[in-house]
Amino acid sequence: MDQSIAQTPVGMSPPARSGLRRQRNSAWRENAGAWVFLLPAVVFFVGYQVFPIIRVVWISFTDYQFLSDKPAHWIWFANYADALTDPLMWASLWRALYFTILFLPGTIVFPLLLAILVDRVKSPRLATLYRVILLIPAVIPSTLVFVLWKWMYNYQVGPINHLLVDTLGIFTMQGAPQWLGGTPLTLPSIAIMEVWWGLGYHAIFFLAGLNAIPKDLPEAARIDGANEWQVFWHVTRPRLAPIMMILVVLRFGSAMAVIDEYLIFGGFNRASPTYTWTMFMYDEAFKTGLWRQGFGAAIGMIGAIAMMCVVVVLLRIFRPRD
Amino acid sequence: MATTLHALDAVSLPRRRRRQRGWLARHQGAILRHSVIILFLLIILLPLAWVLLMSFKTLPDAMRGVFWPSHFDFTHYPFVFSKIKTLPVNLFNSIYVTTGTVLITSVCAVFGGYALVHLRPGGAAFVTAALLMSLYFPVRVVSLISVYEIQSFLGLINSTSGLILPYITLNLAISVLIMRSMFQLVPHELFEAAKIDGAGPWRSLWMIGLPMVRNGLVVIFIVNFVTAWGEYLLCVTLTNDQDTRTMPVVLAAAQGGQGYWAWPNLAAVYVIVVLPGIIAFSFAQKLFFKGLAEGVVKG
Repeated sequence: MDQSIAQTPVGMSPPARSGLRRQRNSAWRENAGAWVFLLPAVVFFVGYQVFPIIRVVWISFTDYQFLSDKPAHWIWFANYADALTDPLMWASLWRALYFTILFLPGTIVFPLLLAILVDRVKSPRLATLYRVILLIPAVIPSTLVFVLWKWMYNYQVGPINHLLVDTLGIFTMQGAPQWLGGTPLTLPSIAIMEVWWGLGYHAIFFLAGLNAIPKDLPEAARIDGANEWQVFWHVTRPRLAPIMMILVVLRFGSAMAVIDEYLIFGGFNRASPTYTWTMFMYDEAFKTGLWRQGFGAAIGMIGAIAMMCVVVVLLRIFRPRD
Repeated sequence: MATTLHALDAVSLPRRRRRQRGWLARHQGAILRHSVIILFLLIILLPLAWVLLMSFKTLPDAMRGVFWPSHFDFTHYPFVFSKIKTLPVNLFNSIYVTTGTVLITSVCAVFGGYALVHLRPGGAAFVTAALLMSLYFPVRVVSLISVYEIQSFLGLINSTSGLILPYITLNLAISVLIMRSMFQLVPHELFEAAKIDGAGPWRSLWMIGLPMVRNGLVVIFIVNFVTAWGEYLLCVTLTNDQDTRTMPVVLAAAQGGQGYWAWPNLAAVYVIVVLPGIIAFSFAQKLFFKGLAEGVVKG
């Protein structure tokens, strides 16, 4: 093989050519060797994330029904038109946004306050202890957090209603608040649970950011006569902005796309405040009739696109200005 | 002499008076600070303490809703194991699915992060950008329809093992990105030197890379453990029978009441399921915090 190449009439001496070839060959081999390492991650990423998204976009343009024997037809934007003219689509988007508005401020402000306080703790032992306790909710798996709070809010044995009815006597047994199950209180209740869940984890994030601020900066500001609020606003806040941006954008994303909590606390009542676009999608695709997955996919895409628009705006607002 | 004493007195008097203001007044700020912190910590811990106590309560105590049990009853733990038939099966499912997910994701993440930083194959930048973008897109929810189709095509509906495949991807992107930022902290020269000494990419990853990204690996273990152990949406969608499901999903469906699923029994199951994570974390917390500071925050 090498010889046949060497015999071809090219304006390059045979040894130089084969050397270049060997070099190119080894570069190619190194590249392939590197891809072997990347391959496991890429296979799963493409197989279960990239391909499914493309497939869902495809399905959203068809009248595909999972349980139907009939072949699916390409119907262009008919699903999108159906969804966008359905008042439930808009109501469900609004519900998701409403939940996000309830949840987002609390999950930024409380952990920030907590982090600023813990950051000033001088005893290293106490600081470690505080941090470990702060992270405990973060190592409780999602479903177990939901189960825990389902019991917290329970009207029969839940400690919250026990406190309100038996201890404080604010409500009677009959008039006690119904926290979950599609009542108007359901979304605020879930928001409180989510703030509790993220409290320590987000505080740890802010603590890491506070650690990176040189200690003499706030000291110098204090010597210049700045009060604590001014120190926070002019020294600490700008330096925490990058972490705050990441948290706001990521939590906005997770709050808009909540579904597990609604499946556990809400159910498929279309009038329930927990019936958001994710539930609408799930209901159409896995519960109702012959599983209209074409329509469900379109709902999912509309929800995702609406979310992404806000994410882009948020990223622009928080863009570093220097 | 007298004048100097007087002068000394004049200086030390205010100081002594300040000391007389007492410990409380001097530490006002610190006390306030610690009280607020402790209040927050109580808010975090009280719900968990409530469940723990619930698992030791007698049934009448549980129904009366008192916080502290009038007497401790430890029989609920043996009871749930011997009487609830699917409980060992569900627990085994949880352990099996979680172990599989954590191991495979960690391998993917370590290999991927190493390749992206130190081997840099063609297209590495594109892969990084795609992984980063997937963090902002609600992939888990939107892809569900197609994931169901894939699993049904592979014959994995209602299969516990089948859950591992989609579980791996739940945290894959963030795991690879954490590993990428961990490997960025390892100087490239180390790998160059190993290469000159004749070590291949596998050997240099095993001997040089792995020991240096240990803390990040702990973060990835814990993050993936927490996700897989508590996953709900995929499990409830892709499986139908109680004995193919994981423990938390069964627990979420259980209604408290009488009999097997009486409140203290439920709480006992809850404690059994939630404890492994908390214990694992408290053992690994030092490494976890180091890894979090190195990998996540800078990444």
